[in-house]
Amino acid sequence: MGEPLLSTEKLSNHFGKVCTALDLDLRFEPGVLTSIIGPNGAGKSTLINLLTGHLPVQAGKIRFQGRDITRLPIHERVRMGICRSFQVVNVFPELTVAQNVMIPVLARTGRAWRPIRRLSRETALMQETEAFLEKVSLLPERDTPATALSHGDLRLLEVGVALAAAPTLLFLDEPTAGMNPVERVRLLDNIRQLAREGRSTFVVVEHDMDVVFSLSERIIVLHRGEILCDGTPENVRADAKVREVYLGDDVSDLFRYREE
Amino acid sequence: MKAETRNAVAAGAVLLALCAVPFITGKFTAYLTIRIMLLGIFAVGYNLLLGQTGLLSFGHGAFYAAGAYGLGLFGVHVSTHPLLGVAVGVAAAVLLALLVGYLCVRHTEIYFAMLTLACGMMVFSLVWNAREITGGDDGLIGIVRAPITLFGLADIPIARENHFYFFVLFFFALSVWAAHRIRRSPFGLALAGIRENARRSEFAGVPVRRYRLAAFVLSGAFAGLAGALEALLESNARPFMAHWTHSAEPVLVSLLGGLSSLTGPLVGGAIFVAMREIIQRFTENWMLWFGILLLVIILGFRGGVVGTVSALFRKATAPGEG
Amino acid sequence: MQSYVHVILAGLSSGMFIWLVASGLTLIFGVLGVLNFAHGSFYMLGAYCSFTVLKYLGAGYWAGLLLGPVGVCAAGFVVERFFLRHVYRLALPYQLLLTFAFVLIFDNLVKIVWGGGALSPPTLSFLGGTIPILGRNFPVYNLFIIAVGPAVALLLWALLEKTWYGRIIRASSSDREMAASLGVRVPALFTGVFVFGTWLGALGGGLAVPYVGLLTPGMGETIIIEAFIVAVIGGLGSLKGAFVGALVIGVLSAFGTRFFPAFDMFLIFILMAGVLLLRPQGLFGAAR
Repeated sequence: MGEPLLSTEKLSNHFGKVCTALDLDLRFEPGVLTSIIGPNGAGKSTLINLLTGHLPVQAGKIRFQGRDITRLPIHERVRMGICRSFQVVNVFPELTVAQNVMIPVLARTGRAWRPIRRLSRETALMQETEAFLEKVSLLPERDTPATALSHGDLRLLEVGVALAAAPTLLFLDEPTAGMNPVERVRLLDNIRQLAREGRSTFVVVEHDMDVVFSLSERIIVLHRGEILCDGTPENVRADAKVREVYLGDDVSDLFRYREE
Repeated sequence: MKAETRNAVAAGAVLLALCAVPFITGKFTAYLTIRIMLLGIFAVGYNLLLGQTGLLSFGHGAFYAAGAYGLGLFGVHVSTHPLLGVAVGVAAAVLLALLVGYLCVRHTEIYFAMLTLACGMMVFSLVWNAREITGGDDGLIGIVRAPITLFGLADIPIARENHFYFFVLFFFALSVWAAHRIRRSPFGLALAGIRENARRSEFAGVPVRRYRLAAFVLSGAFAGLAGALEALLESNARPFMAHWTHSAEPVLVSLLGGLSSLTGPLVGGAIFVAMREIIQRFTENWMLWFGILLLVIILGFRGGVVGTVSALFRKATAPGEG
Repeated sequence: MQSYVHVILAGLSSGMFIWLVASGLTLIFGVLGVLNFAHGSFYMLGAYCSFTVLKYLGAGYWAGLLLGPVGVCAAGFVVERFFLRHVYRLALPYQLLLTFAFVLIFDNLVKIVWGGGALSPPTLSFLGGTIPILGRNFPVYNLFIIAVGPAVALLLWALLEKTWYGRIIRASSSDREMAASLGVRVPALFTGVFVFGTWLGALGGGLAVPYVGLLTPGMGETIIIEAFIVAVIGGLGSLKGAFVGALVIGVLSAFGTRFFPAFDMFLIFILMAGVLLLRPQGLFGAAR
């Protein structure tokens, strides 16, 4: 098994009286595509915010590759290899698609400090950027400003910017939100392909059960800030507590996959 | 013709025209052009902070003053060598910008604007009150334009208006070129990212605070250069340079010309100086008209003069519809 | 001892003017989210309008105080309704620069209408004169001002805490969208708050006429900076903070002028920078 990629120790968070994370002890192993699911308000986004540094930790510890990163600022965590995409599209609006993806590449390769060098001359940089654009199928749009993109392309860009930081651990927060079925399939295929390449470990927060069950090797179910269930898709499907919480629409979805 | 080449040709033409000014126009026009160039240096550097990085500072006059007083005090007490003086002025501005910037960039938006305003006024008040050193509200006098001695070999005089004109033109061209390269560099793109989405820049691995400080200090250096050159031009340094109404000039001028282009602040500066000259002939209250112009720009033409003109140009040359 | 008391009293009275300007500024910032650079101009316009009523309409001081600020409210209405309203959705620099444009416009309009020189208001008969405090004479008018300040503070507190209108203002300042969806006519509210804030600033100017002794077109510039500092120290958006801040700044400034004349402005800026560094939200501001 070896050293986990990321582990938490009694991670907790409160917003006033509302508990969004309660004594979470988690381990993420490299290469295991994980999904985090749970009803609204379960604390999924809060967890990602805590792990990536968006939210300061109130109690508990976070360790990445053995190092304690609990107090580390965001850009340092990114440097170490933890990155995320956002639920609401959060890109660089007036910049082109290529420029959007180039920024993380610049930061990562330490090239961002050069103030006089011409950007257009940085061929290695451009090639790397184009490679990432290729991975999210956005190469044809490279010179389009982000504000001119369709919603589906924007979500691809959203993932692309996160990918371009070449993270070891990548959190995707509802990457397919608002996408139509065709776009969704395209993005999922891209993610599956990238996961197979093995450079990044993906952790995906999702509402859509199709996505979750077709993509993941491991599913974590959160409820009111606590882990309800954590295991393979079969485990989760069979778990009584999960069924209880999801009593209603999604249960039928869960059962549908029995026929696969 | 490619856009790059077209821009280079245009820049070359403007440079040539600027070189011709002292020969084909009178002394006063040359003086005005120098003032336009000084404001241009101030504004083009300032726009690296505002237009490129998205930070609104109301205190950059402090760095302008640092440049002027730095050169002035150095000239009066140590040496009148103009190049050394300029270097000292810029260095003083950079140091001050480092200090002020370090204190201010941890805050955002409104607090940043107000902190920089306060810091600028602090410098103003310091300069005003330290009469024995700075001359107080009389200003620092006794700044001379000594000839430039290059390693004892050549003696380039800059005392005469026409000679000084080229001294300023040299620094102007250098500043504009530097600003152009910075905007097109990886660093420039990182700054643009910070402007567009600072949060996302963090998540892309960009240490935002450090870069903001760098942009702040850079823009301060440009301000210091302009200040030092003005001290040489007017042979004095005045506390007003650090006052917030002077700090507002590069802001207004950049907005007027256009925040998102390199030439915007330059065009804005030219319009500002020209307007001031022309309207001042008729009325003391020329700022009233400038205020009205500003309102018009903010309400309808936020691209500034350059932005609006290029949009019109694009519409005119774009393929017709239907 | 005597000089300390007098300095404190002087500081309190000058602080009250800053409070009046800062109160309007804070109210406008709290509800509209806009930092109104032109607030000093409203103060100045209030002074000039009151002066005009006093001198040219031959009416008494109270008439001037009543009518002057009302005139300025018209200017405030025009600024918000026809200009500021269009820039709420824009980025901060545009809002600040719009109000700054009005500083330029108003300052110069004053010079055009009233001339660029200084104006002397006629001396007060009613509240004029001095009263001995601890053996030294102190102007009665200043004592009046020291009473007016808290009176306005009380008025504002009562308005915001106890009235229906005040409740709407408080609700809208914490959540604009929510207020709108609850049926609050937000644009009308904004105009109302802006005009009320203008009135407060102009009232300060009207009250200042007998105090400053000399009206100049630059009087708006100094007070807006002081009001900014007060608002920041007290906490942007907090009226309580603005009141306390104004008193602190007023007294500090008075001590500065009396004992360290070369550095009084400097002290205030250092205080502001210090507060921003150690407690960025100000003394009473909400934590960010």
